[in-house]
Amino acid sequence: MIIIESLLTQILHIGLMIVAAPTVAGALDWLDARLSGRSGPPILSPWRDLVRLSRKTPATVDSVSVMSQLAPSLGLGATLSAAALVPSFTLGMALSPLADVLVIVSLLTVARIAAGLAALDSGAALPGLAAQTASARAVLAEPALMLAVVTLALIGGSFNLDLIIGQQREGLLLPAAASAVALTAMLALVFAEASAPEGGAPGASATAGALDQMASGTDLAISQMTGWLRRLVWIDLIGGLFLPVGMANADNGPLAWLIGLAVWGVKLGAFVLGLSTIQTMLGRVPRHGLHDLVGVAALLALLATIMVLASTGTA
Amino acid sequence: MSDPILLFLAIDAVALLLLGACAAMLPLAGSTFLATMFSGLGTLLCLPSLILRAPETTLDLPIGPPGLSLHLALNPLSAFFLIIAFLAGTAIAAFQETTIPMPRTATVRITAICLSGTALSLLAADGVTLAIGLAIMCGAIYFPQSSRRIQIAALVPFLLLTATCLLTPSGFAPAFDAIRAAPVDPNHTSVAAALTFAAVIALNRGGSAERCWTRDALTAGVLIPSGSYLLLRLNADLAGAATQTGWGFVLLLAGGAIAVIEGWHAARHPDIDGSVACLARRQGGLAMAGIGLALIARAADLPAAEAFALAAAFLSAVGGSVAGVLASLSVHAIGASAGTRRLSRLGGLIHAMPASSAALAAGLLGLSAVPPGLGFASLWLMFEAILSAPRTGGLLFQLPLALIGAALALSAALATAASVRLIGIALLGRPRTPRGAGARETTSPSRTILLILATLSVLVGVLPGPALWLLGNPAIQALTGGPPGARIGLALLVPSSASPSYLALPVLALLALTTGAAMLIPRWSRKESKPAGLWADGMAPPVGLPFGEPAAQSIGEGFLPPLPDLQLPVLPKLAKFAPPRAPSATAGMWLILAAFGLLLLVLAVTG
Repeated sequence: MIIIESLLTQILHIGLMIVAAPTVAGALDWLDARLSGRSGPPILSPWRDLVRLSRKTPATVDSVSVMSQLAPSLGLGATLSAAALVPSFTLGMALSPLADVLVIVSLLTVARIAAGLAALDSGAALPGLAAQTASARAVLAEPALMLAVVTLALIGGSFNLDLIIGQQREGLLLPAAASAVALTAMLALVFAEASAPEGGAPGASATAGALDQMASGTDLAISQMTGWLRRLVWIDLIGGLFLPVGMANADNGPLAWLIGLAVWGVKLGAFVLGLSTIQTMLGRVPRHGLHDLVGVAALLALLATIMVLASTGTA
Repeated sequence: MSDPILLFLAIDAVALLLLGACAAMLPLAGSTFLATMFSGLGTLLCLPSLILRAPETTLDLPIGPPGLSLHLALNPLSAFFLIIAFLAGTAIAAFQETTIPMPRTATVRITAICLSGTALSLLAADGVTLAIGLAIMCGAIYFPQSSRRIQIAALVPFLLLTATCLLTPSGFAPAFDAIRAAPVDPNHTSVAAALTFAAVIALNRGGSAERCWTRDALTAGVLIPSGSYLLLRLNADLAGAATQTGWGFVLLLAGGAIAVIEGWHAARHPDIDGSVACLARRQGGLAMAGIGLALIARAADLPAAEAFALAAAFLSAVGGSVAGVLASLSVHAIGASAGTRRLSRLGGLIHAMPASSAALAAGLLGLSAVPPGLGFASLWLMFEAILSAPRTGGLLFQLPLALIGAALALSAALATAASVRLIGIALLGRPRTPRGAGARETTSPSRTILLILATLSVLVGVLPGPALWLLGNPAIQALTGGPPGARIGLALLVPSSASPSYLALPVLALLALTTGAAMLIPRWSRKESKPAGLWADGMAPPVGLPFGEPAAQSIGEGFLPPLPDLQLPVLPKLAKFAPPRAPSATAGMWLILAAFGLLLLVLAVTG
């Protein structure tokens, strides 16, 4: 019975992530516009985009290799794998033994690598520029994220995300100051990622990745979906690690799942509102300031690690 | 059981040495064939010793003055490093046999003599044999080069002989058994650890001054793992518990620094072979950090943390050897066919050389820290060792652990950036030169060798648990002094029964499943793609360049963030010291004699 429940919650979770990713992206765009005093696009606009793009005939560049054909699927697959491992409304899902925080961070890296390689495969100037800019930023951002999650693992005594969240839910993840510093580092990374003009070109949109400049049709739809899913993974990771209230266990039954689902929706809405408000109030981080912001996040993550180790050392 | 094995291994080492000495008299094809056979035989001879968990066996050679005869021993630690060295040697020798153009006789000689010296030093059971083996190994790699390299080569055996003598109790020959049997003075241990550290740094930093793919591959596959062996043998095995915790921290921080610096150099090196060499040296740094962490855990009596750190060091050594040799050989195949190793002049080779490109990608997967590669398993074990590391000593002792965590994460990101840069610039995109466009795949036997190595590298990455169980578990148990606190299962890496672990194979299956599902989406839309010709960012291709301007592509710069512009204080210039030059070869001999006299004096004073 437990196996069936864990499988069922896992399937529900994956479906939820796939459905929620474009919706959250639409909500963010709508809120951005509303907070700036404009009417804004419909919340379901990303869904419409996906349908529209999947109906278009894709164009293929002559010189590309098998990497370009594989990259969009690999990127989406890696991000979806990470999304499947990060719990949203319940713990103890079928894939929870695989939910190692280092694996989750590295799966997001795999998705970025796939997009970068596809951009370089095109042999065009601007996608290549975008790929190397994204790589330069990731050299600091990925260690910062890894250090932040390692800090929480050091507090929780395990790299398994379910165990860390379980301990956080019971208030065992002390010292709280280190958790707060790690949270600040992760929020800074989210803010930097949301502000990153990955297109490389001065007029590129904020969400356009290196791959988006080359892809078309279904590939572009997959690439956009990857970006939205990636953002949702970040939100879920932060929500699960630092605000695990209301999360059910897989063996608690459908009622607890429904409560967990409702609380997750509230948390998601609050996070989207917060992110939009900060972006509207502070504006996007300028391109030259991104490295500084990511560098600060890395230093904060290191500080959190030192705080954890020093506090346990003197205990 | 392993008595004849040890004898055969000794004969194999001598045969390789003789082959190296007589290589000029044999036909080139014959000497490469014999080198391959002898190396392969060495690999096969080590396997039964590891699989059957044979205890240590020794062999006394009646060579040398009375009381100072040479001793050989085969134990789990030496068997582990022997098998990876012989495997690397087999691949290099076989590649020499099959590659076109055929290598010079000198490179075959280098391979045979280097492997012979390595085998001798790994089998050594006393300081003199160890020094002789290292002298042969370093001499083979560095002798034909500039004088500075020869100085380094001369230093390594000298330093290690001194270190072994310092560990030896007074009145005994520098045999490992005698060292293990008697308590060691902590001061002597510290000096010995410093000398070993200096020798290993010299081995790792040696490299090759002139461009030679054989030396690069031997450095990655043989020399750097040998450095890890020396650290383990002298600091963890012979010195035992006498090694001070401080040296653990030195190794930890030095290894982390090497991993970051080499990762940084790999991501900005202008040549593909130089970049791969940096990535291989980074593995040496990771192994050094793992050994340092193991020493710290041992001092705190935490066998689980020690076992994790040793397992991480062993996996780093395997990764550096197998994936390093694979990447070095692939880079040679690519460079030889495309006519250059300069990254900014390569491009689009995946179309012309798909097998070599796939082999290079597999090698880079093993050298970087991306799941389900070998490098990621090693990184995961390192972090698990940090998680289990001692939590005593306050900020002063915990700060290095935090710094090594940051260094590991940064080094992993740098290695990933370097790998993306190498694959993206050299293999993908469009050719940048006519010679690059005309590159052709390497010979079929060479491709087979690359394919075998690539399969091995990927298999060890996907199944790190069985690989450690087969190769590393006996050595880990021998070093930790009993069954390890961590269970290294047949299929998984399991930290403990209560905590879930890194499951490489299921992670790969999940990734394959989701990627496969994503690949079905374009099929579901049923839209045939339309060829769009060259993509020139919306512009027409330049006149005379129908395939676009190749120089418009990225040339591999800008993959790293800019360093902060810190204003460092300018140090006053010191007067240049000009070392006195030896007036003649006779004076050089006298200097060597004086150095030995000084060494004997030091040994007499220190007892």
